[in-house]
Amino acid sequence: MTRPQTPLALAGLAALLALTACGGGSLGSDEPAGSAAADSSPVDIGLLVPTSGVYAPLGEDMANGFRLYLTQKAGKLGGRTVNLQTVDEGESPDTGVPGAQRLIQQEVDAVVGIVNSATALGVRDAFEEAQVPLIVANAGADAITGERRSDYVWRTSFSNGGVASALGPHAAETCTSAFLMASDYAAGKEAVAGFERSFTGAGGKVAGKVLSPFGTTTNYQPFLAQATSSGADCVYSFFAGAEAVAFTRQYRELGLKPTLLASGFQTEGGVLTAAGQAAVGIETSLHYSDQLDNPRNREFVTAYRAAYNEPPTVYAVQAYDAAQVLDKALAGAADGPAVVKGLQQVGTVDSPRGSFTFDEGHGPKQAYYLRTVEQKDGALVNAVRSELTGS
Amino acid sequence: MLITVIDGVALGVLLFTIALGLSLVFGVMDVLNLAHGVLFLGGTYVAVAVLGDGGGSIATLVLAALVALVAGALAGAGLSLVTRPISARGHLDQALLTLGIAFVGADLLSQAFGNEVRSVSPPAALASSVGIAGGSYPVYRLLVIVVGLLLAVAAWYVVERTRVGALVQATVADAPMVRALGVNTTRLVTGVFAAGAALAAFGGVLGAPIISASPGVDTRVLILGLVVVVIGGLGSVSGALVGALLIGQAETLGVSLLPTYASFLTFGTMALVLLLRPAGLLASGRTA
Amino acid sequence: MTAVTTPVPDAQPTSALTGRPSGLTSRVRRDLVVGAVVVLVLAAVPFSAPPEIVNALSRILALALLAVSLDLLVGVAGLPSLGHAAPFGIGAYAAGITAKELTTVAPVQLLVAVLAGAGMSAAVGWLVVRSRGTYLLMLTLAVAELFHVLAGRWQDVTGGTNGLVGIPAITLWPGGDPVRLAGYRYWYVLAVAVVGFALVVVVSRSAFGRSLRGIRDNEVRMSSLGYSAFRLKYTVFVLAGAVAGAAGSLWAAQARFVSPTDLGFEVSALALLAVVIGGRGSLWGAVLGTALVFYVRDEIGPLLGGRGQLLLGLVFIAAVFLLPRGFAGLRLPRRRPAGASS
Repeated sequence: MTRPQTPLALAGLAALLALTACGGGSLGSDEPAGSAAADSSPVDIGLLVPTSGVYAPLGEDMANGFRLYLTQKAGKLGGRTVNLQTVDEGESPDTGVPGAQRLIQQEVDAVVGIVNSATALGVRDAFEEAQVPLIVANAGADAITGERRSDYVWRTSFSNGGVASALGPHAAETCTSAFLMASDYAAGKEAVAGFERSFTGAGGKVAGKVLSPFGTTTNYQPFLAQATSSGADCVYSFFAGAEAVAFTRQYRELGLKPTLLASGFQTEGGVLTAAGQAAVGIETSLHYSDQLDNPRNREFVTAYRAAYNEPPTVYAVQAYDAAQVLDKALAGAADGPAVVKGLQQVGTVDSPRGSFTFDEGHGPKQAYYLRTVEQKDGALVNAVRSELTGS
Repeated sequence: MLITVIDGVALGVLLFTIALGLSLVFGVMDVLNLAHGVLFLGGTYVAVAVLGDGGGSIATLVLAALVALVAGALAGAGLSLVTRPISARGHLDQALLTLGIAFVGADLLSQAFGNEVRSVSPPAALASSVGIAGGSYPVYRLLVIVVGLLLAVAAWYVVERTRVGALVQATVADAPMVRALGVNTTRLVTGVFAAGAALAAFGGVLGAPIISASPGVDTRVLILGLVVVVIGGLGSVSGALVGALLIGQAETLGVSLLPTYASFLTFGTMALVLLLRPAGLLASGRTA
Repeated sequence: MTAVTTPVPDAQPTSALTGRPSGLTSRVRRDLVVGAVVVLVLAAVPFSAPPEIVNALSRILALALLAVSLDLLVGVAGLPSLGHAAPFGIGAYAAGITAKELTTVAPVQLLVAVLAGAGMSAAVGWLVVRSRGTYLLMLTLAVAELFHVLAGRWQDVTGGTNGLVGIPAITLWPGGDPVRLAGYRYWYVLAVAVVGFALVVVVSRSAFGRSLRGIRDNEVRMSSLGYSAFRLKYTVFVLAGAVAGAAGSLWAAQARFVSPTDLGFEVSALALLAVVIGGRGSLWGAVLGTALVFYVRDEIGPLLGGRGQLLLGLVFIAAVFLLPRGFAGLRLPRRRPAGASS
């Protein structure tokens, strides 16, 4: 009896072995990665952002923001030439976690990016054990700078609870009661919890809440019907991406009367363009708007528009600031622990969003702004009303 | 409550446009076409391209629908050609091929239209809302209900009352016999495939003002389509309608009655139906 | 059976007393040799390959075990399932939760995961295996999706959509050092995967396996011969679930992170496609199919600037036309002795 598949299988294995026979092996001593380079040698940075799938627009903005800073510094961070490696984070930890592991094992000096919170939480141990610093430039899970904080994980973006709770006191002043709506995943739940905490703390009354299935809901009518029947005069919502577009548009189409308050992601970037006129009048809280009137932001917006032909979003600023922060921390840093020490000494970051510092969880201690969507010069913008305080 | 039920009907007829093509292709060709979702997505992007964000007029909406029908028919004929060599190889091979085509198609669409959400407004004349039962309901969704029901009636008529429909039903039941009668089943099959694909693309144009175009819509629509088709019974037109209306209600009325279990409703309904009636509600006799 | 048979080359040696096969046939001997060579080659990888390749192989081995268990279900028993990620993910969560709450000893986690996968399959199987064909595909999809949603919502137990984080590194025996090096962890994964694969092969070649093939090819006839189709199908469903659970524990040990996507439609669909690309029923083909599919998706795709899905789609299309019966169907030109079968 012949078994012609046998030579085939062996050939396949021989090819596999040949492929793997480069590189030093995986049984070496337990030393963490990180080059013991001299002070001014080139530095490898991994940019882990989504370039495919539903989060790709955010990834694109983040890459743009990071690259803009690099261009402004002639391709150097900390005075050292940057070799930038971009890896597609994809839509889920399935691709994000292997992507991060690959960058770590290629011994990059730092990794920037990550949109998906599950991915960020999942790789935290890997970064800490390998002693490679990670600057999270979007993922908003509270735990990243909360219970799961690490010396090696820093964040220049936000926490879901923080953005939402900033809106609570303002809502308590202007609303009698509020109905809370969000998508049923961790970010939505954290946002609702954050808003509820500061809203009730400031005397507001919650009329009810509902969570819609995450990623599969296209029709919000049954959920919005509950908002109407609750009798609340305000609705607070948290949605992002395509869900935000559908929710906002259907909110207006179905003629909902309550004032709509939301976390700023619902009216940011491409989502705002797609939601169109339906978004006018929504009040949001966020740590950035391209309409912010400070000198640093004005020059940032001009530079960004010149480079990319569109106004910057919060995602671009977060990555831009990650580059800024690395610029300070990488100078003269020989390895991972040295970069971390540099990060701890960064102090005040002069960001287009206003200046911020890092708190003990290594997240940004920053101002949040009350924004309203308005028509300006034929386009929709998030006009900044005031700074939100008291949360 | 009434508005929720009406909304369920709107969602249901939209699902019907998706499910009808899928069910017929399966019934006639015994082909599991997993590229069906991408056809719908293509239809939404046709709406984006023709209507733009501004919405345009009813005439441009009709134009978009016609473009989608033609493009869909061509795509369907192409798919029929490509799947013919493997149509005897069983559903799993067809799944592999059509899913591969779906991945390629989805990627090409995202290269052409970007990854951002692209929304489409209904024509200005239909962009208002009317008061129904104390609430306010968009006129466009009422139009969707009307169009969908007309489509269902037309489909029923074609399948039940015309010669072509009789041939289609006969092919579902016994293809070799139909061939033995001298009918060119290859052309028939290509025609059914083209019609099914055209319907999916048409559904995309119709649904675009409700479900904006973005990556990921194809997977969601495909899974919903499969759920509807399986509940209704593979190869059955009336089954597709019943299944679609049922799922439409599950996702609207069901959600408003059981909001905490909203995520479980669609698949829970399907699992329940399949356990009680393993071949679907109105099975046509085609064994899977 | 006739009493006198003409001798066939490479026939099984039969015992004169009972007329049943005895000892190791040359086919089995050859397969053992090939298998041993493959395992040795795989085991040698960590000596020369960098950690990222070894980690990629660990991931692929865990998923390959999933695909092999699915091949037992699909290829051998003819039960197509679009929901096999469910026992896999449940096994991964079970292993991860055990690691966090109970013990870091890997074999214990493995056992818990096997029981979890088998338990889940046992609970839903008695309803599910009554279905067949496309309906079975959709029913298994529905069941898996329900577990997927549950994993995302049951935050207290699973960590919700943020995933189960903080899973400690495995130890191989009580009181042992945590296995941190990629190479050692890979060897553990390889060992379990090899044992699991061997188990599935043994089952497939046993009388039970032959009965399953009989059910797959002609259920009516098997029933008329007195076999209980339902009992056979239910048993293989639970067994496949157990092996998938084991694969899940390997995944948790390697990634140290479990999220609801591990129970998702994409994992189920890609595993099924890997089985098809490998050649249904061949078992070892599923391993190659998994390697191809997940290598393309996870290692090459992310480097293509967003075009990963395009590449994967093209691979599927190519596989359908170039590998009509999967990798296992490839035949090198060889003169075949008359009367031989494979």
